[in-house]
Amino acid sequence: MFYPLAGVRHQSYLSDSKLFPVPTDRNLLIVLTIAGIGAPFLLSSLYLNSYLQPWLIWTALALGLNLATGWAGQLHLGYAATMAVGAYAAVHAARFGIPWEFALLIGGLAASLIGSLFAFAALRVKGLYLAIVTLAMQFIMDWVLNHSPVISGGSHASLQSPRFALLGQEIASGRGLYYVALGWCALVTVFMMNLQRTALGRALVAVREKDYAAAILGVNSFYYKLIAFSTSSFIGGIGGALLVATFFFLAAPEQFGVNVSIQVLAMIIVGGLGSIIGTYFGVALILLMPGIANEILANAAALFRLPLGNETLAHIPTAVYGALIVIFLLVEPLGLGKLYANIRDYFLVWPFDQFKK
Amino acid sequence: MRFSKCSAAAAIASIVALTIAPQARAEQPLKLGVCYDLSKAYTFATPQVSQAAQDLVALTNLKGGIGGTPIEVIVQDHGNEPQRGIECYEKLKREGVFIFDTLSTPVSIAMLPRVMQDKNILIQALVGRGDAVDGAVFGWVFPLGPTYWGQVANDIAYLKQVHTGNLRGVKIGFVYLDYPFGQEPIPILQTLAKVEGFELKLYPVPLPGNDQAGSWTQVRRDQPDHIISWLLAGAHVVASKEMKRNGIPMDKYISVNWLNEVDIANIGPEAAKGLKRGTNVAGGQDVPVIQEIIAELYRKGRGSGPEKNLKDVYYNTGLAMYSMILQGARQAAKLHGTPITSATMREGLQNITNYDANGLMAPVTVTSSDHGGGGKTRVEMWDGEKWVPQTEWIAAYTDLIWEVVRKSSSEYHN
Repeated sequence: MFYPLAGVRHQSYLSDSKLFPVPTDRNLLIVLTIAGIGAPFLLSSLYLNSYLQPWLIWTALALGLNLATGWAGQLHLGYAATMAVGAYAAVHAARFGIPWEFALLIGGLAASLIGSLFAFAALRVKGLYLAIVTLAMQFIMDWVLNHSPVISGGSHASLQSPRFALLGQEIASGRGLYYVALGWCALVTVFMMNLQRTALGRALVAVREKDYAAAILGVNSFYYKLIAFSTSSFIGGIGGALLVATFFFLAAPEQFGVNVSIQVLAMIIVGGLGSIIGTYFGVALILLMPGIANEILANAAALFRLPLGNETLAHIPTAVYGALIVIFLLVEPLGLGKLYANIRDYFLVWPFDQFKK
Repeated sequence: MRFSKCSAAAAIASIVALTIAPQARAEQPLKLGVCYDLSKAYTFATPQVSQAAQDLVALTNLKGGIGGTPIEVIVQDHGNEPQRGIECYEKLKREGVFIFDTLSTPVSIAMLPRVMQDKNILIQALVGRGDAVDGAVFGWVFPLGPTYWGQVANDIAYLKQVHTGNLRGVKIGFVYLDYPFGQEPIPILQTLAKVEGFELKLYPVPLPGNDQAGSWTQVRRDQPDHIISWLLAGAHVVASKEMKRNGIPMDKYISVNWLNEVDIANIGPEAAKGLKRGTNVAGGQDVPVIQEIIAELYRKGRGSGPEKNLKDVYYNTGLAMYSMILQGARQAAKLHGTPITSATMREGLQNITNYDANGLMAPVTVTSSDHGGGGKTRVEMWDGEKWVPQTEWIAAYTDLIWEVVRKSSSEYHN
């Protein structure tokens, strides 16, 4: 019904590898894009800049991690460290007077460089050992930030970011900053969607499934893992820089701590490894749910005059949030993206689901 | 199936309704936005401090509020995450709040650029960047209390008194959590070591502070005459164990203000005898305002939380913070009448003169250039049952502190 497949015929390899084999997917994306562009005119500035904008920035970041972890299968516990490299490099560059376009690029490249350097050491080991090595990267970065005032900005380890500007145009309004986040997130999304249907994307998947088997097929697994790490770090670096430039307005070590690394990893696991739409859902759940749950409970307590103390009010949403993660993963271990895919699969053949198999 | 669909729809509808439920109120109270970390890193202090805020405001409202305006405290959790702190700020800002308090360094630092931009008031007693006491640069930020720089300088001044005015040849150890909170006092200590001629030894403790064995064996080797400690909560207890193990007497220990009755109970009230701490508030319940709160609120069953929290020195800390805020509001109402706006509130706060909340805390005088209130603290000693003041309220080496403050704040550009 929603996803008519009638008239979809593939007569060439090229047409089969189209970005949107099902027209509905394309139409859905068009609607979402229009909604994204129209959001500033529909939503209040609170929702736009305190919920939607961080959601987009974090989605772009999580997509970057998903590239390394979801597509190439490399567990990464030090993603926040690459974000930190990108953020600090870009902010320092911008403070030095370099225009933001180049500062962002410098941030991305610096993160990519440091990420690849670590990858050279890290990729000699696999699985859980890799996780620990990447965790080491996180702790080294934490230590460096806490012990070098030159990088972290001296006074109380906070480094102010200069006003954000693109093409010489200063961007300070909420709408402008939102569009920057939207643009970057769209760019990363398009890149990831296209990645899936290229030789590079398939090689990454081959490495993920079994790097040994991939090597037999002639895929240089070390090389592709390195590409996955450096690309993911590049996205993470620019994302971190944008987070600071358009949302926090200053960089502080706590914004890139180990808990952030775990949080981003949780986003993609809850959302679905190797799923783009799932990443969007996962980020929404992990990033926005605590605040929303807080709000709902506070309003409920006020409405029903529940005699709850401050601490109880703070802890119930945390418990609810934890329970939600467990429930979602119990219902669908492959993540929220798979939940969406299930619904889509159901409607692909509805009402003739006897033809499914 | 049908039932579950219906219930799911009902659940969604009710969630949406609750999310956007309007909070209709008749009068416009003066709202205090308390965005606290009630669920993660700062929970050793936030329940007591927020309870103190609510109690003090309840007491003030019983007496008719400020200039006839009632006061409202809005408490919200941010879990020590900058992202959620900003969410709290942006939300409350739109509900008419213009006075914010975070009691969290990461969140306060993240909120600062927005506060300066929006010209709202950020209270950051004992947290956040210390150079924010420079009112000329941080016009909308009010640390309302001592900086850690000032606090450690006052500790040194106390030690100078102990050594009858001469610290030459004295060995002072500094045990600190190895991150910005603990590292902050080091430059001041180094400068003071040069000025006063004492020997300074640094002992970093890795986060989160529950393994300090390495640091304290080093302390044993060096045998400093005094140990100033910049640790938090449970880390004091670990430190006390290590001191016992290494045969270092407790009376050498001078803690930062973040040490409370819970930590004393964990160390053991007897074992903690002789332990000292720097503080900007009087410890214990022997303070008029606490007696009044007990009589007016807790005896009548109107307290905002468990009464045992009142015995905690962080409760006094919270009372001190909010006494200053309410005093600022009173001054604002006196100067410009109600309703109080962020501009008049700022002026009110800047006109707090020699205010000690009836013996609750060090007298503070906030001016447009000094948003810290003078930075007075004193050293108290635990005598096995209660805190005994060892000094008057003092603010030492202020020129030196201000030099550091100005140097640091001059790097800030709004």
